[in-house]
Amino acid sequence: MNQEEEAGMAKVGVYVCHCGSNIASVIDVSAVRDFAAELPGVVLARKDLFMCADSGQELIMQDVRDGLVDRVVVAACTPRTHEPIFRAALERAGLNKYLFEMANIRDQGSWVHGQDHAGATEKAKKIVASAVGKAYNLEPLEDKFVEVTDAALVIGGGIGGITAALELANMGHKTYLVEKQPSIGGVMAQLDKTFPTNDCSACILTPKMVEVYNHPNIETYTYAEVDDVEGYIGNFKVKIRHKQTYVDWKKCTGCGDCASKCIGKAPDEFNNGLSERRAAYIMFPQAVPKKAVIDMDHCLNCGGRDIGTLPKVNQKTGKLILAPCEKACPAHAIDRSIAYDPNGDIQEVEVGSIVVATGYQVMDKGWFKEMAPESPNVITALQLERIISTTGPSEGKLVRPSDKERPHTITFVSCMGSRDEHFHTYCSRFCCMYMIKQARLLKEKYPDLVINMHFIDVRSAGKDYDEYYTGARKMGINFFKGKVGGLEMLPDDKLRVLAYDMESGENIEYVSDLVVLATAVELPADATTLAQKLGLQFCGANFFRELHPKLGPVETATEGLFLAGCCQGPKDIPDTVSQAKGAAAAAAVPLAQGKVRIEPIISEVITELCSGCGICVPLCPYQAISMRTTEARPRAQIEMSACKGCGVCTSACPSGAIVLHGYKEEQIFAQIEALTA
Amino acid sequence: MIIDQEKINEAIRTIQEYGGHGILNCVQCGACSAICPGVKAGFPLLCRNLIRHLLNGQLEEIIEDSSSWGCQACNRCTEVCPQGVRPQEVVFAFRRYQGNQLAFSTSAVTSQMNLYETGHAVYSDPKELRKQVGLPEETPTSAFDEKARQEIQALINAGPMGELGLF
Repeated sequence: MNQEEEAGMAKVGVYVCHCGSNIASVIDVSAVRDFAAELPGVVLARKDLFMCADSGQELIMQDVRDGLVDRVVVAACTPRTHEPIFRAALERAGLNKYLFEMANIRDQGSWVHGQDHAGATEKAKKIVASAVGKAYNLEPLEDKFVEVTDAALVIGGGIGGITAALELANMGHKTYLVEKQPSIGGVMAQLDKTFPTNDCSACILTPKMVEVYNHPNIETYTYAEVDDVEGYIGNFKVKIRHKQTYVDWKKCTGCGDCASKCIGKAPDEFNNGLSERRAAYIMFPQAVPKKAVIDMDHCLNCGGRDIGTLPKVNQKTGKLILAPCEKACPAHAIDRSIAYDPNGDIQEVEVGSIVVATGYQVMDKGWFKEMAPESPNVITALQLERIISTTGPSEGKLVRPSDKERPHTITFVSCMGSRDEHFHTYCSRFCCMYMIKQARLLKEKYPDLVINMHFIDVRSAGKDYDEYYTGARKMGINFFKGKVGGLEMLPDDKLRVLAYDMESGENIEYVSDLVVLATAVELPADATTLAQKLGLQFCGANFFRELHPKLGPVETATEGLFLAGCCQGPKDIPDTVSQAKGAAAAAAVPLAQGKVRIEPIISEVITELCSGCGICVPLCPYQAISMRTTEARPRAQIEMSACKGCGVCTSACPSGAIVLHGYKEEQIFAQIEALTA
Repeated sequence: MIIDQEKINEAIRTIQEYGGHGILNCVQCGACSAICPGVKAGFPLLCRNLIRHLLNGQLEEIIEDSSSWGCQACNRCTEVCPQGVRPQEVVFAFRRYQGNQLAFSTSAVTSQMNLYETGHAVYSDPKELRKQVGLPEETPTSAFDEKARQEIQALINAGPMGELGLF
């Protein structure tokens, strides 16, 4: 029997779903069913309230088992979520699962044409006819499997990345942890204490940092970035770029002598610019690894000796003239004769899955012109965190940046850049809680401090969170419902606060010594570059997009790529840790299985038709096509495991020598014919 | 207060028709009122509180309130509003509603009469002061220019203000 005859015998069954009221409230499901029953090749058409429910699936399976149908069309929702469910049903009933086609009459029908019931019904008929046309021409395909590299990559060394790396490593998988800063720890390392229990951030984080760094299954690379990612689930090839430190970390003991002798200065990122660090520096006292780096952007090239040149010799003594940092290092770890290379050293690793936990940044106060950003006493909440931290520039003493005096009145302003059409329309989710935490810590330490907090409303959803908030009211902290409209600079670096009390309906005006802005959480600018390298998508709020907002919160559209923490959306430490453990569990699945399934919806070259022109080779976005010599002539060949089935080569081949299985020419033409009938 | 959806719909529709298109964006954060000079001067129904009353459907109940005429049109509310409400436009829409219902405060009538008679909404006799500082007593404006005044009056009479029957 040849293929055509086999296709000619296809018995298509159509199953139209009500999706509760999702589809049926707009589309006349019975009319679509009746229309489908009359289509050529269709042997039966049924409808059900929920095709994806057990009863709906059973309907299909029974028809298959009874030999009534051998091609299945489900007219329902999106294949993104439901195609795997129906394919599995076909498989259970003993039919090849690729003899299935989905007609999306929800997303493309009832959802977008809610006001036009008749039009939506007509469109649904066309979508169904198109799916039937394709289903009639479908051919059975077989899944393919590839081996998996049993290793994982975690990008980002904050609490999310640390947690994910530890989980993966404890499950027995080799894990690479990459962090761009010289130390792991992330934003959590900058925090003083954490809500709602007030436990010290460093006390709960630093043991985790040490555990990661010393774990036999974890390789931690700090001061390093992911440069490029190639491949697919199970077999990613990752290029990691190690930035130059000019300090031999094998010798560096973390004593800090180089930093104390260095004269090059830069704003201290760890203290959010509240103090200065040296060009040669250790990121913070509890850094892991505790190693020094020399930041070339701020190195002064002491003694007129450019980086990458050998030290001069003293004519009289014959000794080398070293830079102060080189001279100070008791371990002789610093070598400034290494040539400057902005690309650093590239290291390649192979992994089977990747967890992205790159975190967030808070908006700069400079965006908010009405909030007197030019005043030194207007600070972000993360800066206050450094001021009240014992490892901060004032060693935990509350002081105003302008004169290092203790403020008497402190003001907290919520929703700066969050819930704001000019910046971000989303709620940053944890600002209310950290502001309350900061206020409580300050009130405990300085009972006579006047603390005024201004909120649009207090959002304290979370375990023990609302009790933490109401507790703050009992401590004598003043809460006002109403957003602060502006700040005015006054003599002595004080600030006039222009606020409003919603409950009394009256204006509030007072003089404050220090104003703390809870600026919005957002994705750092360099995250876009990383997204391009990894093939990550963005959601409307400009965070990385998860596969499904409810059922796929750690997965992404790219198989083998998982998300954890604030890069997916604002979340506090407990939520970040939960998501990181979830992402690690999901990332471990392919590693534990040892092989991954490759969908056979991929392209294949019919060698006899290939002319060897090579047009397809540079067009392939996945470098899956190469030219091989077959019978002494060049012929294109597609690497099955690298092909994603995008179809670019198929449409470009001048000889029509490349087929995309599951999207063959006759299948597509049948769809077009049905749609234009 | 009774929640009457019909009245709420009516108030919103009225304000939107008169130009307060953003009224439904309001989340009652109060930033507008925090910086409003009118609220600061004691006008109770401006910005946040005016919008609250309108969203409660109390359009007719507050028709005689003179607060809206205290708006100085500085537009700072529009600058600070995080939701794109453009509160000043809501205030002006409410004024237009009041005007069309012939329900405006005496302060508003005075300035309208000033505008009609002198071409200035806010007007006081400048002669004495100008004389003291050595300037010509009469300003080079419509206040002392019969032809300009007639043109202004012609424009007012031809427009919706003329239909109010004030002049």
